[in-house]
Amino acid sequence: MIKLIIDDIPVEVPEGTTVLEAAQSVDIPIPHFCWHPALGKAGACRVCAVKLLDGPVKGVQMSCMLPAQDGMVVSTTDAEAVAMRKSVIEWLMINHPHDCPVCDEGGECQLQDYTIAGGHGIRRYDGKKRTHVNQYLGEYIEHEMNRCIQCYRCARFYQEYAGGTDFGVMGRAATIYFGRQEEGPLESPFSGNLVDICPTGVFTDKTARFRARYWDYDMAPSICPHCSLGCNTVPMARYRELLKTTARRNDRVNGWFMCDKGRFANTMVNAPDRPRQALVDGTPVTLDEALDALATRIDDFLELHGPQALAIVGSPRMDLGGNIMAARLAELLGAGALCYFDTPDQAHLTGEAVALLTAESSASQEDVRKADLIALVGCDLLNEAPMMALAVRQAWRSGAKVYVIAPHPDLLPEGEGTNHTLAPGERVAEGRVRGQLPFPFEHVATLAAVPLAEAKRPVVICGATTEGVEAVQSPPRTAKLAFILDGPNAFGCAELARQHNTVALSTALADSRIRGIISFEADLPRDLSPVIDVLAAADWRPTRLTARAGVFLPTTAWVEQEGIYVNNEGRAQRFNKVMNPGLPIKGLTPELHPPRTHGKAAPGGNVAPAERLIATLMQRLGEAEVEELEFPLLDKEDPLGPKGARGWSSSCLGLKATTPGPS
Amino acid sequence: MNDILFRHNRPDRAVTLDEYRAEGGFQALQKALADLSPDAVQQTVIDSGLRGRGGAGFPTGKKWSFVPRNLPGPRYLICNCDEMEPGTYKDRVLLERNPYLLVEGMALACYALGVERAFIFIRRGYELAAQNLKGAIAQAHKAGFLGSAICGSTFNLELDVHQSAGRYICGEETALMNALEGIRANPRSKPPFPAVKGLWGQPTVVNNVETLSNIPAIVAHGPAWFKALAATPEGAGTKLFCVSGHVQKPLCLELPIGTTLGEIIDTHCGGMRAGSTFKACIPGGASTPYFTRDHRTVPLDFDPVAKAGSRLGTGGVVVFDQTTCMVAATLNLVRFFARESCGWCTPCREGLPFVQHILERIEAGRGEMADMDILREHVHKLNYAFCALAPGAMGPVEGLLRLFEDEVREHITGGKCPLGN
Repeated sequence: MIKLIIDDIPVEVPEGTTVLEAAQSVDIPIPHFCWHPALGKAGACRVCAVKLLDGPVKGVQMSCMLPAQDGMVVSTTDAEAVAMRKSVIEWLMINHPHDCPVCDEGGECQLQDYTIAGGHGIRRYDGKKRTHVNQYLGEYIEHEMNRCIQCYRCARFYQEYAGGTDFGVMGRAATIYFGRQEEGPLESPFSGNLVDICPTGVFTDKTARFRARYWDYDMAPSICPHCSLGCNTVPMARYRELLKTTARRNDRVNGWFMCDKGRFANTMVNAPDRPRQALVDGTPVTLDEALDALATRIDDFLELHGPQALAIVGSPRMDLGGNIMAARLAELLGAGALCYFDTPDQAHLTGEAVALLTAESSASQEDVRKADLIALVGCDLLNEAPMMALAVRQAWRSGAKVYVIAPHPDLLPEGEGTNHTLAPGERVAEGRVRGQLPFPFEHVATLAAVPLAEAKRPVVICGATTEGVEAVQSPPRTAKLAFILDGPNAFGCAELARQHNTVALSTALADSRIRGIISFEADLPRDLSPVIDVLAAADWRPTRLTARAGVFLPTTAWVEQEGIYVNNEGRAQRFNKVMNPGLPIKGLTPELHPPRTHGKAAPGGNVAPAERLIATLMQRLGEAEVEELEFPLLDKEDPLGPKGARGWSSSCLGLKATTPGPS
Repeated sequence: MNDILFRHNRPDRAVTLDEYRAEGGFQALQKALADLSPDAVQQTVIDSGLRGRGGAGFPTGKKWSFVPRNLPGPRYLICNCDEMEPGTYKDRVLLERNPYLLVEGMALACYALGVERAFIFIRRGYELAAQNLKGAIAQAHKAGFLGSAICGSTFNLELDVHQSAGRYICGEETALMNALEGIRANPRSKPPFPAVKGLWGQPTVVNNVETLSNIPAIVAHGPAWFKALAATPEGAGTKLFCVSGHVQKPLCLELPIGTTLGEIIDTHCGGMRAGSTFKACIPGGASTPYFTRDHRTVPLDFDPVAKAGSRLGTGGVVVFDQTTCMVAATLNLVRFFARESCGWCTPCREGLPFVQHILERIEAGRGEMADMDILREHVHKLNYAFCALAPGAMGPVEGLLRLFEDEVREHITGGKCPLGN
């Protein structure tokens, strides 16, 4: 350990820590633009100047470039260091436009913060500001080069971290330009991170342009539902409209970033045609009335066909609480079938995959980033779990060798991918995730041909496919395993399926005994026979099941409720409620907004989480006391705390757990 | 006095291989390969006191000694011929007259360093020099001084000429290596130093053309002979001075290192032009603080020049007469540096245009006294830039404020350039 003194505080840090990081470790903030924890040092902005008063190095130094050494005495408040930092701000403000009032970054701008903190207020440069022509970079990212302070974060992230080739830095001296060779949509499936890492307003989220200031947003720690990886996010909403999503740091999962598919998939939540009205045979009713009607119909159904004829359907895209309650409902009714997965293959393979994972063997994204050898078996990372491809790239950048076994046809640039998490029309990033994997790899025929035994930290990443599951039936004990599953809560569903007697939905539907189903946020595997009575469907998205349902129960989207997803590694992660449900105010007619009568719910806000709907339904069905779900261990987790696999309840599901917390 | 570098020069063309050999060329290489170990060659260079002629004046042998002995993989030598320092043209003259000295010098350096592949990074505009070099390399190949088993020894060497796409920053050794690797020519952070981790991550030595061209003579005649060539007891060898500006005969000449500024101008350049009197000069290329009348007796060698408040730099002397406005001259230089900044770090990219703006304001008669404080501030703070470009660019500004403060004040108080610009 290295011992040094920063601002009179003794600090002890591991070797290789920079002075900037050492200061951060004791909560001394040092301004920085080019330095980023995930991108490392660059030494470009020079705003992290500190003065070394004593020790092996003396004088004003850039703290991001300087490794902490024994005996250093560092001052962040020394007049010379402060003057240098002030000068850097003055230099940067020479050309930065004074357009904060119309800049989307205003209020969440690092440059704004440091300019004010540094006390630069009097302009000494009286010449013209440099100006640039902006580029069209696609429908998601707005480009405003005049605001650029040339920290190089964007180019370093895009090219080095994410492996993109169509964006970078051009020109020289004061006219350097960050952009594309020619206008056009950014090709990287991780381009949205430019919005997060730009310390000022060069790259802003075009989908949320001019809609809100930082302090206007409803926001909360959340989990991305768009694949099984469970990347941590902060969705941001205003006036009941989900406006944008930013990545939330979790060192063990997604690090600092997220993919474009997760970032720019807001439209489904806000969609005008999103079903928000409870219906009984197509007639609008209140949620209470719908539940009453459903309870009656269930009684009638049971009387007519018996409980064995009823299937209760949960889904890997529903949170854990909803799925647990679906099992309890099935138990209460003595239902003939409980379904979590569409097809027997999916049910079987997901179950097999989850059974192969243990707390020790399950690889997190962090494990992948730190691996020294990676084998990919039967998975299409860019389509099924883009952030996993980014994690593999980081391992490759640190020297790991990557092998691809029996390449999935979708690995090819022209390949057709599938993603059941969202229906095809909902994949906003569709077409953008096609492309080459952002790392070089070697094709081998079988996993046996991969020198796993020679590696220190090998990871095998598999699709939950026949080839993937078969390849790792007896994995080498040294290798960690990661499965790419289908749905944000597929792991949770697989564990529930293991504990209960379940069948795949298509199997249940093929069974002539099943005459009716009640589905919760589930999708149909294929056409539904007309003899099947869809007693009820609960969902926040229109599906073929909701179209057929006798009783339709509108549920909340993940941002409108709290819940838990168990990600592909078995990590149970809680997400918080971001916003109140209801029709977005934007676009409402004067009849609906402003409201003339004041009720508890906003227009279109008479919706509830599936978990609560089921609990209420069970009460209507005569269950005197419906036990509340509790996840005591999960709530004790600190997302940035010490590593380790944990169970989040005594009996149960997850191998690892994290809850949202300060990031 | 053309003892080493201009010894083989023909007045109007480059020397041929036969002529060069007839005058003793490649004998040093043959001698070294036959009789000297690589370490012995390196020790000879260390003992000679040769200091880098590219501008920084770092002892060449010492630089070589930083290359770790036992790192696996190849190591490289790069000859820096990206000569873009305004006022400097010695490497061009040298290569246009005698490319063989460099070829032989590089062969000796590579032998000493255990290098089998070396590069000559040459400025885009130096077309003739590049042609000469390519020709010389081909000829040397034919004669067995390059290639495999050179002169019957086990030493192999290939030389490549890389014509730069052209930017001043490419002369910075780490930016040069980036350019050579085909990536953006931004300087790299040090450490690691190139001697440990340079071109393609391998140990690399970067030396100037003139530096390397001195090696054959040092090996042939020994360190004591080389040291004795200097005009001062402390110096070593000769130096190419390229003189331009308001002198009778601007020219590039080889003189004992440590020759005084006065002697160079009066004896070798025929004095000042008719009607001109000496006002100031840049002693060693555009990034060195000015010398004035008071400095005419300073021996032009690294340490004496540094002691006198400037730097020997490249030996590119630019002479100004009494008609030169020092604010305008400084502005001209700063404009160059502001334009040639690579744009990596804030002080250089934004600070230099700020300095340029202030100087423009002063020169146009719109300056204020506070502007001098801004300039002083920049002279200090640009030291904290990423590489040496910005601190170098502040050399002339520092000189302006120290030596010509009155002239700057006159601009500000008079509201115009006193020299009528």
